[in-house]
Amino acid sequence: MLRIINLTKYFGGIKAVDNVTIDFKPGKITSLIGPNGAGKSTIFNLINGFLRPDHGEVILDSTSICPTGSKNIRGEIKLHKMKPYEIAQIGIGRLFQDVRNFKKLNCLDNLILGSRDIKGEKLIETLMHFQICKKVESELKKEAIRYLQLLGLEERQNAFAEDLSFGEQKLISLARLLLGKYDVLLLDEPTAGINPFMIERILDLIIKAAKEMHKTVILIEHNMNVVYRVSDWIYFINNGALSAFGLPDEVLNDPEVRKIYIGL
Amino acid sequence: MNYLFHVLIMICIYLILSLSINLLVGYIGLLSLCHAAFYAIGAYTTAILTVEAGANFYLTLVLGFFLSILLSLVIAVPSLRLKGDYFLLASLGFQIIMFNILNNWVKLTKGPYGIAGIPKPNLFGILVNSQVLFFILALLISGVVLLFMNFTYTSPFGRVLKAIREDEILILSLGRNTFLLKISAFALSAGIASIAGSMYSVYATYIDPTCFTLDESIFILSIILVGGSGNFRGPIIGTIFMILLPEVLRFIGIPDTIAPNVRQMIYGAILVILMIKRPQGIAGEYKME
Repeated sequence: MLRIINLTKYFGGIKAVDNVTIDFKPGKITSLIGPNGAGKSTIFNLINGFLRPDHGEVILDSTSICPTGSKNIRGEIKLHKMKPYEIAQIGIGRLFQDVRNFKKLNCLDNLILGSRDIKGEKLIETLMHFQICKKVESELKKEAIRYLQLLGLEERQNAFAEDLSFGEQKLISLARLLLGKYDVLLLDEPTAGINPFMIERILDLIIKAAKEMHKTVILIEHNMNVVYRVSDWIYFINNGALSAFGLPDEVLNDPEVRKIYIGL
Repeated sequence: MNYLFHVLIMICIYLILSLSINLLVGYIGLLSLCHAAFYAIGAYTTAILTVEAGANFYLTLVLGFFLSILLSLVIAVPSLRLKGDYFLLASLGFQIIMFNILNNWVKLTKGPYGIAGIPKPNLFGILVNSQVLFFILALLISGVVLLFMNFTYTSPFGRVLKAIREDEILILSLGRNTFLLKISAFALSAGIASIAGSMYSVYATYIDPTCFTLDESIFILSIILVGGSGNFRGPIIGTIFMILLPEVLRFIGIPDTIAPNVRQMIYGAILVILMIKRPQGIAGEYKME
């Protein structure tokens, strides 16, 4: 389980995230909704280490990602905070709001790079254990092809990521996280700018990740139909603070949410 | 005939340099202006050890490789945290420092006088004392480097380096320690460049600091900019083109008094045209932005 406790972040004098505490449970899809600039993506940045919280803590199972400081003998607060790559290594993966792929790499390589268990990325390792690395690489390739077949993109496996359509690129980014077997998926607007047919394919993948693979899925989304359809739990964030939370029906019918966000 | 072999030997030496800098420019997306410094480290290691201690050429080649890796860490560790232009400036600084060390540490390097009488190596027990034999030696060494670099480019290591070039934030979020990977690539690149230096010193039998100036670093970088980077073909085509070009210009009858300047102007014009019309180089994959 991923927990964020009293998470607070200031940008200058502005409180971007204000004392937010949430438990994200495995097998559940939790949506964060709120107006633009409410602090949702900042929470993601705090969870996966691209930003450091001013206060608060992020805990994955028993591992503290951003432990609160303890004072040393000189009274200085010493913090050991994990770096983004260390946070990814313990199982938190992120889909970015803007589509991010390795444009000049083919689809197959784009998927394989999602794996957290690639042998041979240290050159000495490849030279010393060539056969093992080759075997791991070949298994990863097979798995990546399975994902491409699942997405209906197997014929594009050798195409550069930049040559795919916007929707296909989003599918590739999402499949990369699934291939990486991350326990927690931070999905920042996975359906933004996508046609309805492609949205269905993306939602199928998200639901499969949570319900079949038992992953903790955290979703930032502005499409309320999507939010209503897939979410088990919704948190409404406004001005960096938690304003409402509960089941989809409760939150989406909350008068404050309707007034501030949905505009009804 | 000797002239032809001289050109071919120079192609072999510069091929090693271009393959090594390709790992930085084409795979991580970093421009470096200090490759002549690593070229010098190899050359001086071989020259000093063979002349002063009578060491075996192949042993000095290996020692130069590791010394170059070690010294590359001096610049890599503090400066690879910097991005793009800042790294370029740091590499320029390292190049200037290395040149000054070579020029002023007279006790070790003989300073501007250079080191003469570097002995020719042996190849399978035969003294390499002719252009043909040296060409065979150069072909063997550059062939091994070529195969090794091709293996590196196509390995998972090469792939993750390309991923850094394409999107460093994304690859960080996928659990890769990009800082460590960049250091590894830079060190390997420096080590490979030193091999070319070792070969050059026993070929020329005389080296001095002017062989390894900033101009040389710019020339090495130009090879990869002209030929293209990020794949295997670019460095090969770039090396052949850049080494053969001045030789071709020799035959068009430019008066000797102005020939060097005209050559420089033609180089410059080719670079400008390529940057505008084909920024990825003749056969490159990666377009510098």
